Amino acid sequence: MKISMNWLKEYLPVEHNVEEIANKVSLTGIESAPVELGTDLSGLVVGHIIDVKPHPDSDHLNLCQVEIGEKEPVQIVCGASNVANGQYVIVAKNGANLPAGKVIKSGEIRGQLSNGMICGLDELGVKEKFVPKEFQKGIYVFPAEEQPGADAKELLGLNDTMVDMDITPNRADTLGMRGAAWEIGATYDHKPSFTKPEIAESKVVKNNDVKINIKAKDLVTDYLVRTMSNVTVTESPLWIQRRLWNQDIQPVNNIVDAANYVMIEFGEPIQVYDLDKLTDKEITVEMAAEGHKLELNDGNKKDLSHDDLVITSGGQALGLAGVQKSSVAEVTSDTKNILVESAVFDGTSVRKAAQRHDLRGNVSNRFEKGVDNGAVSESLTRAVQLIDSITNVESISQEIVGVQTKAEPIIIDGKISHINSLMGIELSPEEMLKIIDRLGFTAERNGDEISVSIPTRRWDMTIEADLIEEIIRIFGYDNLKGTLPSGHETRGGYTPIREFINKLTSVLLSEGMDETINFALINKHEVEDFNTIHTNLTRLLHPMTEDHEYLRTSLVPGLIKDIAYNQARGNDNISIFEQGRIFDRKEGTDRPEELEYIAGAVSGNVLEDSWNTTSKTVDFYDVKGIVEEMLMFTNSDAEFEYSATDQIPNLHPGQTANISVDGDVIGYIGKLHPNYQSDHNVADTYVFEINVDKLFELSRKQVQAKSAPKYPSITRDLAILVGKNISSGQIVKDIFENGGDYLIDVNIFDVYQGSNIESGFKSLGYHLIFQNANDTLTDETVEKSFTNIKNSLVSKFNVEVR
Amino acid sequence: MSLNDKLKKLRESGIDDAKRAEHLQELNDLRVNLLGKKGPITQALRGMKDVPKEERPEIGTLANNVKKEIQEAIEARMNDLNKRMVEQKLQEETVDVTLPAQSHELGTKHILNQTVEDIEQFFIGLGYEVAPGYEVEEDHYNFERLNIPKDHPARDMQDTFYLTNELLMRTQTSAQEGRDMEAHDFSKGPLKMISPGVVYRRDDDDATHSHQFHQLEGLVVDKNISMADLKGTLEALCRHVFGAEREIRFRPSFFPFTEPSVEVDVSCFNCGGKGCRICKYTGWIEVLGAGLTHPNVLEMSGIDHTVYSAFAFGLGPERFAMLKYGVTDIRDFYTNDVRFLEQFKGVN
Repeated sequence: MKISMNWLKEYLPVEHNVEEIANKVSLTGIESAPVELGTDLSGLVVGHIIDVKPHPDSDHLNLCQVEIGEKEPVQIVCGASNVANGQYVIVAKNGANLPAGKVIKSGEIRGQLSNGMICGLDELGVKEKFVPKEFQKGIYVFPAEEQPGADAKELLGLNDTMVDMDITPNRADTLGMRGAAWEIGATYDHKPSFTKPEIAESKVVKNNDVKINIKAKDLVTDYLVRTMSNVTVTESPLWIQRRLWNQDIQPVNNIVDAANYVMIEFGEPIQVYDLDKLTDKEITVEMAAEGHKLELNDGNKKDLSHDDLVITSGGQALGLAGVQKSSVAEVTSDTKNILVESAVFDGTSVRKAAQRHDLRGNVSNRFEKGVDNGAVSESLTRAVQLIDSITNVESISQEIVGVQTKAEPIIIDGKISHINSLMGIELSPEEMLKIIDRLGFTAERNGDEISVSIPTRRWDMTIEADLIEEIIRIFGYDNLKGTLPSGHETRGGYTPIREFINKLTSVLLSEGMDETINFALINKHEVEDFNTIHTNLTRLLHPMTEDHEYLRTSLVPGLIKDIAYNQARGNDNISIFEQGRIFDRKEGTDRPEELEYIAGAVSGNVLEDSWNTTSKTVDFYDVKGIVEEMLMFTNSDAEFEYSATDQIPNLHPGQTANISVDGDVIGYIGKLHPNYQSDHNVADTYVFEINVDKLFELSRKQVQAKSAPKYPSITRDLAILVGKNISSGQIVKDIFENGGDYLIDVNIFDVYQGSNIESGFKSLGYHLIFQNANDTLTDETVEKSFTNIKNSLVSKFNVEVR
Repeated sequence: MSLNDKLKKLRESGIDDAKRAEHLQELNDLRVNLLGKKGPITQALRGMKDVPKEERPEIGTLANNVKKEIQEAIEARMNDLNKRMVEQKLQEETVDVTLPAQSHELGTKHILNQTVEDIEQFFIGLGYEVAPGYEVEEDHYNFERLNIPKDHPARDMQDTFYLTNELLMRTQTSAQEGRDMEAHDFSKGPLKMISPGVVYRRDDDDATHSHQFHQLEGLVVDKNISMADLKGTLEALCRHVFGAEREIRFRPSFFPFTEPSVEVDVSCFNCGGKGCRICKYTGWIEVLGAGLTHPNVLEMSGIDHTVYSAFAFGLGPERFAMLKYGVTDIRDFYTNDVRFLEQFKGVN
């Protein structure tokens, strides 16, 4: 809400500029920004039109003679259709400045001298929707006689300065000028003073016809009305109009404007109805019934439902309570008698209704966040007094009470020592009481104990913590010296799984892979394409877009997207990984389990063409090497098995392996299927994905240090011819099983199939390394093992040793 | 020619040959030829029998000296030749050090994770545990336990992706507070934790909004925790992250789960507080929200608020990284263009 300094001055001395005030209020209470109106305006005066003649060379321009407080009237050519003789208007004189750098210059318009411009409000920077309707399409006409030549900018309130407060939901007490005055007053140690509204006793009459029936008792705590007879509906005086448009409220007529004015003044929404338009004189506050409609000013009608709290009369909805008045009992120029309402409606009900019907605004905003039930009656009195002062009514009814809740101050009990301890400062009781007084609260002190009485205008305050916030902010956070918690020592650190994850990611980083972070909410295709854990999909209840509809079941789709994005931008060689959660929802449950996964994708060259190297494109074994190194670093004594699979959709059936431990699949490595690659615009790409939770559960090796062997190793080479369908893994496993105690390593150095090799066979070459850590190995020992190995391979796999 | 002269002549020619040798082989040959058993010096000494007896010692000495001198000349030349060979080898092996290296690039940790880890390390040093939370969370922990009952206006501040009426994508890492408080054994000392992670909100993705982003929550529960402790802790954090010269300031704010609540500004690390484009000419940059944990939140976790007090804070790693490195579009963190990712190699 924008707090006008011209208005605030009625309650408080204003001794600083808005920039200073906004800064101080931001630091002690509510985030605020300074606003200075009309800084781009000059040369604006009141003009009195004393003659209007049509322009001789135009069918829509007029020649106006305008008194502007100078010796002679000036001639101004005006094209507005609402210009008329006798009007008091805004004149931008020769040399005047208007918004957007516009400068008014005397000149000729179609051969006629024009000494300035007669202006509309929108031309002075007031948004058109806040300009009174009758002046939206033309010049603005002052509602009463003004002194020609007087400063129009000031009269229009366009010289005002304001503090725009960005009010948090708990500080709705400052959604009115009076509340704001308390806040700014506390900031500067000034108590605001307000005039108590009073009604001329002579006009007050007993109510004898209007009845109020509150049916929805749980949603209405206060409902007060007064009727007023014989009002004259006109436009409001200028001082009301200017305050409204500066509050971004469009002036309508004196009655509606007075109600809005009081809303701004007190923060309490006031409604006015044309009493004569009510079908009967009974007002009911109830839940809407079938067929109730809300008629809006633009002619649209909204169907109301049983969830909507409405004000009705004679079966007709007068308005959606706390949200929007219907146009059926609107106050118009021929209105004579009115009903003025001040009420408190349930915030949640108002909020939901406003949301449901898309009608949030000034009124609902205040009810949603709460209003001061201690000011319901006073704000009603003020509205009635204001209307009477503008339009001298015949009579005013007594207050008619539908329901009223006693407004009582809130008492917060606290201990001075406890308050100080929570703040971390040492205020003396006197200092603390002084701050409490500055806030306009009253306190009683008994030793360390204080009992603070909080007026109803601060309904947000209920507990000691609220009081602490008030005291410390007025004390000033800048005066608070920082300390560190001084309790017991604690041991900080990561959880074991997180330590483990850190280790895995550091291996992948060392392998040259860049870390990525992708979205966990993905589209249906993506989630189905790599559902390798065969889980039930988890879908958002109300997704915003199809792109982010499902919870991911694999990290791979995100990585593929990244590769496509990069390769489309000429970053061809990509090696990336992600560590994150995937979501595994078991049949019959709503809540998916969150599994920690790690996945990588490599595409393009692993070695670049350079002055001393030739490029190499990634292949299955590059990625397998990365995975093996990562698994090595898990320090697990488990045996990781790689077995070919053609069962993972969208992966190459001949270049994919499941990785398992004791038959339990923990992940996979594979090349993307060529069709999938072309569909997703990526070059040859290899991916892997591993369940980190399962890796973490594997038992860890207890490393027992051994000295480096002092005795040399002996190498034997083994070349075999074997059927194509036998995997090297099988061969190596068998070699180890038969290699005896001293076989320490088997390295494959050759894989060949092609010419010179019988079709259906391949040639494999291995280095077999033997070593005895404690003695020199003899050739005999090695030869014995070597023979065993060969014999076994021959008998099991029918190999031919070459 | 006398034996004496013969020896002197041999010396002269031997030394001369050694000095002129260009190859090690020549020197080896020279040694064998000149100094060997069949060499001229040995031969010459055979003529000793013809030398008068009294001159023999002198000749013997001369012969030994000649041998020695020739030997020395050969060795000296050998050293020269060896040295020359090494020099030549070094010459041949000289490389152009300005040619590009054989690259062994390490990968780059994502800048958001670098940012988070930097903050984690800071707090681990202060004795905080790093507690991961759930990305799919119950309404109960995400809202109700944080003093945000159903229909609370504060729920408007963060639009939520629901999975069911009771399950949602967490909108804040504060959701972890309730879980950690109820799991903590206070007889073993205070609770000091941070909880980093991914959160989700119903936002359209644009330069400043992302429907997925990161948060890091901090919570300390102990006897006598105060606003001053919160300020001191955040002061130290901001100095760690943004530089030792930084000051912080608190501004009152509102969060349903803290009271008092504050927003925290850090003095601008770009201009030092004088005012610049980054701090919008205010000298201060808003970096996080914090406060003393609301008594209701403590009580809902079974903690007696008259005995214990707590502070909590929440910060956005995206915001930290954007400020610190001048990232202007939050989407850059999630499109994973490697040119973007790799510029942050080793920054933290």
